[in-house]
Amino acid sequence: MWSKRKEDELPQRQEKPAMPSVTAVEPQRKETTMSSPSRTFEPEPLTPSRSGGSAALGKNVTVKGQIFAREDLTIDGEVEGTVECHEHRLTIGPNARVQAGLKAREIIIQGSIQGNVDATDKIDIKKEAKLVGDIKTSRIVIEDGAYFKGSIDISKPQARAQAQQGGAATGATAQPAAAAATSQAGTPSR
Amino acid sequence: MKFAVPRGTFVKSASSDHAPAIARHSSGFDQFYATLKGTEGLSILDLSGASQANISFITEAGHRISSDDLVGAMLQSFGDDFGESQTDGKAARFLEQALTFPAETFDGALVWDAFQFLAPPLIDQTVERLLRVMRPGGLILAFFNADEKMKKIPLYSYRIQDSKTLLQIPRGMPQRVQNFNNRTIEKLFEDASSVKFFLTRDHLREVLVRR
Repeated sequence: MWSKRKEDELPQRQEKPAMPSVTAVEPQRKETTMSSPSRTFEPEPLTPSRSGGSAALGKNVTVKGQIFAREDLTIDGEVEGTVECHEHRLTIGPNARVQAGLKAREIIIQGSIQGNVDATDKIDIKKEAKLVGDIKTSRIVIEDGAYFKGSIDISKPQARAQAQQGGAATGATAQPAAAAATSQAGTPSR
Repeated sequence: MKFAVPRGTFVKSASSDHAPAIARHSSGFDQFYATLKGTEGLSILDLSGASQANISFITEAGHRISSDDLVGAMLQSFGDDFGESQTDGKAARFLEQALTFPAETFDGALVWDAFQFLAPPLIDQTVERLLRVMRPGGLILAFFNADEKMKKIPLYSYRIQDSKTLLQIPRGMPQRVQNFNNRTIEKLFEDASSVKFFLTRDHLREVLVRR
C-alpha cells in the first residue's frame, strides 16, 4: 500500500513545469556580467556613483597629465596635472601625493594635495590629510588635525534651485491649474 | 550655527586627552562678528588652522574663510621652544610659510593668541605682513596673555561656538617670549588706524585692531 502511493506521486512531480532545471539556468549566469545590459531583472534607479564601476591608481603609480574619469576614482599614488570626475566620487588615499587641480561631485581627502579642489556636492577632509589650495564646494566636513591652507568658498546650488522653484511657485499661484500639474509632477508645493 | 556649551564650563577636548577644552565669553569676538553682520561675501582669515566649527560659523554667515595655521608654521620652523630658537635662519623660514597671501585680500583676520609667541623683530615683520594682506578698514582680533607673572603661558586652538562664545582647546604651554601690556600692543600696531582693548577676568587681553 505504501509503495503504491509513492508511485502515484512521482509522475505528478515530473509534470510540474514551474521549476526550471539547474542546467537550464547555468548558461544565463555565465553570460551575465555586472555591466551587462542583458539583465533579466528590473534595474533599480542608480545614483551616479553606483551607475559605473570604480577605478583606482595604486600607491606605486605615478601619472603626469590629465585624468578624466566617468566613474568613481581612488588615487593612492602620485599625480601631477588635473583630475576630473564629474558626477562621481574622487578619493585621495592616505599614500597619495597630488599636485593637481581636482574636480568631482564628491571628494574625500586622506593624503596630500597641492592644488585647487572643486566639488559640486561635498568635500570630506580627514584628519591625516594635508591640503594646500583653495576649496570650492557646497558642503565641507573637516576633521580636527587636518592641515589646510587656503580659502573656502561655499556655493549652494540647492539655494539657487529653491529660488528658481520659489519663482515658479509664485507664477503657479496666479494659475491654479498649472500649480496642480506641477505638484503632481513631484515639485514641492506649499 | 550654535553649540549648547555653557560659558566657563569645561568640556572634553577634541584634540588633547590631557587638558579639557574651555568655553569662554569673548567680547572681542562679539564686536568682531558685529561688524560682519548685515554684509555677505567678506573674506575672513583664520590663523588657528582649519576647524569645522569656525568654517561652518563663517560660511553660514555668508562669508568666505581662509585658513592658515600660524602656530603650526611656528612649530615647524622653531620646534617646541618658540622663544629661544627664533634665530634669523629659522625666522626667514617661518616668514616664507606665513601669511603668503596677496595684498589687501581680507576684511577680517582671527589671529587668536598666536602673536604672543613671536619674539621681536619677527613679530614686527609678521604684523607688518598681516596689515599688508588686510583691506583698509579690515578688522584683526588678537589675544595676549595679561598675567605677567607667568613664565609659561597656555597656547590654545579657538573654536567659535556662537557670536559671544569661544571654545579654547589646549595646544601646549610654551615659554613666554615677552610681556605684552597696552603700550607694547599699541606700539606693535602703530600703523593701524585704531586699537581697542577688552580686558577679561581670565587674564586674557583681547585686542581689536582696525587697519
